[in-house]
Amino acid sequence: MSNATYETDTDPDTDGPAAVESRVGWRYTISQVKRDPTAVAGLVIVAFMTTVANIAFVDDVLFGFLGQYAFFANRGIEQFVLAETFWVNPEVDPGTNQILRPPVFMTNELYPEQPGTMAHPLGTDHRGRDVLVRLFYGTRIAITVGIVSTGIALVVGTVVGAVAGYYGGWVDDALMRASETLYAIPFLVLVIAFMTAFGRDLTFAMVGVGIATIPSFARLIRSRVLSVREEDYVEAARSAGVRDRNVIFRHVVPNSFAPVLVQATLQVGVNILIIAGLSFLGYGAQPPTASWGQMLNNSKEYMLPNPWFSIWPGIAILVTVVGFNLIGDGLRDALDPRINN
Amino acid sequence: MGRLRYTTVRLLQAIPVLLGVVTITFFLTDAIPGDPVQIMLGPSPSAQQADAIRAKFGLDQPLYVRYVNYLADVVRLDLGESIYYGVPVTQKIMERLPVTLFLLLSSFTFALCTAVPLGILSAKRRNEPTDHVSRIVALFGVSTPSFWIGLMLIIVFSFKLGWLPATNIVLPWADPASLDAVDPDASWLVARWQVVATSAKHLVLPMITLGTLQMAAFTRIERSSMLEVLGEEYVKLARAYGVSEFTIVRKHAFRNAQLPLLTLVGLQLTSALGGAVLTETVFSINGMGRLIITAINNQDFPLVMGTTLVFGLVFVIGVIITDLSYALVDPRVSFEGSE
Amino acid sequence: MTDEPLLKVENLQTQFFTEEGTVRAVDGISFEVNEGEIVGLVGESGAGKSVATSSIMRLVETPGQIVGGTVTYKGTKIVDIEEGPDGQPRPSEEMLTDEEMREQIRGNEIAIIFQDPMEALNPVFKVGAQLREFIELNRDVGSAEAREIAVDMLREVGIPEPVKRYDSYPHQFSGGMRQRVLIAMALACEPSLIIADEPTTALDVTVEGQIIDLVHDLEAKYDTSFVWVTHDLGVVAEICDRVNVMYLGEIIESADVDDLFHDTKHPYTEALLQSIPRPDQTVEELEPIVGVMPEAINPPSGCRFHTRCPDARTVCREFHPTEQDVSEAVTATHRVACVKYESIGYEDARPLETEATDDFGSGLIDASGEDA
Repeated sequence: MSNATYETDTDPDTDGPAAVESRVGWRYTISQVKRDPTAVAGLVIVAFMTTVANIAFVDDVLFGFLGQYAFFANRGIEQFVLAETFWVNPEVDPGTNQILRPPVFMTNELYPEQPGTMAHPLGTDHRGRDVLVRLFYGTRIAITVGIVSTGIALVVGTVVGAVAGYYGGWVDDALMRASETLYAIPFLVLVIAFMTAFGRDLTFAMVGVGIATIPSFARLIRSRVLSVREEDYVEAARSAGVRDRNVIFRHVVPNSFAPVLVQATLQVGVNILIIAGLSFLGYGAQPPTASWGQMLNNSKEYMLPNPWFSIWPGIAILVTVVGFNLIGDGLRDALDPRINN
Repeated sequence: MGRLRYTTVRLLQAIPVLLGVVTITFFLTDAIPGDPVQIMLGPSPSAQQADAIRAKFGLDQPLYVRYVNYLADVVRLDLGESIYYGVPVTQKIMERLPVTLFLLLSSFTFALCTAVPLGILSAKRRNEPTDHVSRIVALFGVSTPSFWIGLMLIIVFSFKLGWLPATNIVLPWADPASLDAVDPDASWLVARWQVVATSAKHLVLPMITLGTLQMAAFTRIERSSMLEVLGEEYVKLARAYGVSEFTIVRKHAFRNAQLPLLTLVGLQLTSALGGAVLTETVFSINGMGRLIITAINNQDFPLVMGTTLVFGLVFVIGVIITDLSYALVDPRVSFEGSE
Repeated sequence: MTDEPLLKVENLQTQFFTEEGTVRAVDGISFEVNEGEIVGLVGESGAGKSVATSSIMRLVETPGQIVGGTVTYKGTKIVDIEEGPDGQPRPSEEMLTDEEMREQIRGNEIAIIFQDPMEALNPVFKVGAQLREFIELNRDVGSAEAREIAVDMLREVGIPEPVKRYDSYPHQFSGGMRQRVLIAMALACEPSLIIADEPTTALDVTVEGQIIDLVHDLEAKYDTSFVWVTHDLGVVAEICDRVNVMYLGEIIESADVDDLFHDTKHPYTEALLQSIPRPDQTVEELEPIVGVMPEAINPPSGCRFHTRCPDARTVCREFHPTEQDVSEAVTATHRVACVKYESIGYEDARPLETEATDDFGSGLIDASGEDA
């Protein structure tokens, strides 16, 4: 998305002031964000989580896929080979006597005399699986769903908002009423109905959440477009015979990019929360795939014997979402001089 | 002219939104695979039974006919009969709605009562320790899954400390006879007091669970709008005329700073209604949220439609109330204007 | 009347501590305001005029801070900064506390009129209520009486139907009307001094004229002194008794209004005068001042105006001029801060190649024009 809008800069003939401004602003923004310690903290968190997610992806999905072929399997490449080498397999049940163990140094009602061990530093779940390893693999799900669902909302919302704002009239009315309608049904309910209709797994969670959050982007882009539409250079481009589509996507949309970026970063965090909520209700990643929301769903039956099991996934969600929110806040402060210190 | 007409116009504007809600839900629910008749009658009903049920709920008719019929029924305020519960949808909703509204209003009250002072304090003491603490609280508030907060509260306050109950909500106007906590021999006044006390005890944890996200979101906007207003020329003017800082915040800046918050309160209703589904699940509260999940899971078509419509209605009314109060606070918004 | 001026500003310094460095927005200005006088404070945007006025009212906001100087109002030190034992500026014991400043000075002794009337009234309160609040606060009157005063004052500043307009909201007023309200607000508190911070800049020219006439009438009637901040010498000519010209945080020329216009000393004042149309002189062409004012964060060495001065010579780059008394009459004071009027070798120095001297001066400078 960002590449598409910034490519216009390379073509001097269609280069609107919008593009130039946003490009200059972009560099300025980065320099501002770098100086903001909280935004840097956010970047560190998100970078860490993304790295974890990538390792989890390689170990789970890529190696799982390659492991089906003898060529790789013979060379020791199979699903969860990394996890097994360095820790324990997230899917293997190490035996019933290991269930619901407390974290290292801690005890719980099931093991009052016997503190947890380094073998399972965060304890084990109700099936004896290592909580830390499952958290690790859950990162992949959280990061993916957050970004993909936001991406869907961003792309569709930008188009809808830009078209509504640029053309105005009945197009605007219709699209805005539609987005209001989507807004009137609670996200969670809408997505649950959507998933019940089309499929309960993660793909539909991402698509559903993406669709449900289109209005927030559509409204933002629309309001930006309404103000940018009247600018001289847009007027000039239009009177010079540039086609509407080009005016919108080469002049109007790039100019609205900054606030959309802020919104998108914050939305990733919100969507991670929504999808965790869905998984908590049983809509989302299906077992045996580990997701944080689903771990919390499992844990709620065992809060009395092993409360630790409920604590960790929540902290993982919290830290990740804090990361995205810090970046989003940092970007917003950098882009909005009024709130600057 | 006037408030009444403005309200009427806004209500009329809400009709297309509600129509949209009905339409989206209708076709979405229709797309849910599976046969509600099977759910009602078990895996292998006789053909006659099945047909009878189908005819009773109009399931034998084509989709568009059912859609038009349903719209006509809604206009007559007839939401049909729940397939799963076998009672009228309106009856089921009337049973559950007060619980959810009670929870919702309490959490918004909780959120506003904490967020407004916190946001103002934060803005007034910008970049001081108070501000940092309040900003961190708000940041964590918007970043924490509400249902997890619920689980943590249950672990600490119900399981470890044993102070507060972990399940259900009791309405403060509930019948004393229906509660175990109420002494059956107590006088009317004492019994009433015991009901209210029980209600309050049950309310605390779900209220905090549902209200934290709103509280955090409100604190953030209160802080930033207060900061903005405190930089306005009219605040500087008041200062130049010797008005004390306290009066400036309380009077000159306060009303203006609440405008963005008002808008957000209306918009947060959607996420709060969604949050109610999770909160009710965590605390096993029999409210609208769990009702709609039950309805969806059991393909209880009329019940899904009815509950969604009511959710839409709650949202629309909430937004209208927000708009009205906005116009009351800001004289520049006239009741006659469209925007 | 005593000889003591109403307001005496001495060596006032206000700095802004930003991430980029310290901005010396007001850098040691001194001027006086006598009773019944309208004193102009003139300069381009960024000269530090508004910071100077907010410093007098002690309304400078962080990261700004008054770091030096004294402001005496009716014998009371409203600003008095001394150097503490740690070398940091600190308020002296004589200086009014924030509380005293708020209760005794702001509004009831010194009132202010802001630049933008569109922003200066609170949009959610009725105009009358805002007036009444400030009157009640600054004069010893009850609510009912304050209301009466407010309505009278609205009538006085030329608002038609003042009783009805008392209950209007600011958005129902035009810009000129709002400025009248703000003037009414200032006068209604019966201060001895009103600071008008570019009160007509945001208004139409016709409305500006009306407002100036109004102030003229009211000033005579209420015997209030004014500090009139503006960038417009035309307005100064119409309204002021004495003028202080500011450039980059310093006052570079101060004189009676007639002296300033007819016996201009400082090249900057000269340049300012040439950039505006004057009814008393016919010129072929108006000459805008060359270049833009440098930023106060990193002011030029020597005379701060030398980068744009048509008369700049090499000595101007090294020597920072101080204010010299150049008055010819005994009754009036005319002070100017320019190297020309200090005997440190201006005449012998070579002209400096600047933007302003470029056009006609370049031929005179030898090719090797290096620094001395």
